[in-house]
Amino acid sequence: MTLTHPEGTVYGQVGDATVPLRFTDLSAEYKVLRDRAVALDLSGHTLIEISGPAAVDFAQRVLARDVEYLTSERCMMSLVLDDDGRVVDQVLAFGREDGLLLESSVGAGARLLEHLRAVADDDVEIVDRSADLTVIGLEGPYAWGVVGRLIDGELASLPFEAVSDTVWNDVEIIFARTGFTGEYGYQMIVPVESAADLWQATLEHVTPSGQEALELAMLEVRQPIPRLETAGDVNVIEIGANWLVDVTKDEFVGKEAVLAAFESRQGLRTVGFSGGDTVPEPGARVLAGGEDIGEVVFAVRSVGLGTTLGLARVESGLAAAGLELTVEGADVTTLTSPYIVPKSWSIPII
Amino acid sequence: MTIDELRAKAAERQQTCSQIKKMIVSRLDLEVEPDWITDDQPLFGRGLELDSLDVLELYVAIEAEFGVALYDSEMAVFGSISRLADEVNPRLRAAA
Repeated sequence: MTLTHPEGTVYGQVGDATVPLRFTDLSAEYKVLRDRAVALDLSGHTLIEISGPAAVDFAQRVLARDVEYLTSERCMMSLVLDDDGRVVDQVLAFGREDGLLLESSVGAGARLLEHLRAVADDDVEIVDRSADLTVIGLEGPYAWGVVGRLIDGELASLPFEAVSDTVWNDVEIIFARTGFTGEYGYQMIVPVESAADLWQATLEHVTPSGQEALELAMLEVRQPIPRLETAGDVNVIEIGANWLVDVTKDEFVGKEAVLAAFESRQGLRTVGFSGGDTVPEPGARVLAGGEDIGEVVFAVRSVGLGTTLGLARVESGLAAAGLELTVEGADVTTLTSPYIVPKSWSIPII
Repeated sequence: MTIDELRAKAAERQQTCSQIKKMIVSRLDLEVEPDWITDDQPLFGRGLELDSLDVLELYVAIEAEFGVALYDSEMAVFGSISRLADEVNPRLRAAA
């Protein structure tokens, strides 16, 4: 943990990171995220620097999307896969002058670092930058206004996944337009020694939101949550994260396995569902017309929908919206994504 | 509903989604196989990374292929392939 939070903050262990799950109340934090803007403590995301003469070639080999021409003014979300096509992590890759900076998903830094070092070439240097850099996020339909008040209004209107090296309070930071929830989103990569000051300055404009509200909002727009969706022997196709893999790329670790899974047309597929008063555990059986067709991946209580919201992995012929299924005796309905339409889609940046 | 009825219902949606994917790949000259695009995949920004010019192209293509005019629709109809399927095949929405 890089940032200090008030007494009463509820923390949880997510992978290798201890993160604030909620600062006050999930419902309140969620509503502020969807209606206004929140600050996010993303210090559970590990930053890994890849440099050296073969840095770009290496990144091109280990990332499932094409980063060959990723300049220092761009970032990109991509999966990192193993040889079997299983998800190692979902990363944000930042182009840098001397290589790339990878941001892990929450709590997945150690696993990602271990994988990268295992497949690295001799002329690539892989450095964990967590001790000297951390990440603070902003998310919400009016997050752009916070950027204007906090740093510079010009940065608010950067295109999606654009990056700018900028200065806040005489401190060099990497600023990026990103987003996990379908709302306007920004990230600030800041030196650890200045992180507390930037966090406090951010809190002069917005309230913080914890991991629970963030993940609920991610689920609502089908933004993959690796720690909850990739457990077990599942492949990219079954997860439905195809868009984080570029199969037109010549080569990358896991490509053959992913293509084999895609071409087999076999296996399960993931679909969202809502309904029921209780929240089923991962692995709960999903029934269609009384027959077992799959299992719950994970589910939560949705503040926005006022009912249970979750993902199920079911046989592909039944992975479609608008079906009435049963989970642990409760009637549920499969859904069309996004399950909640982000307010940012109808609010321009001004 | 029996499982066969549910399968038939799912197949109708998957058929409409498949038609939309083929249309998008063809009209926007994308390099991917249509089936690589998932029904829940975001279309703008994240996901398929379409832009506002692509939307204009899709307005025209959807009207030509499905006879549905979406010109005054909110951007939410482009939230995913499946969401778009609800618009071009109203039977799916009515049955949902």
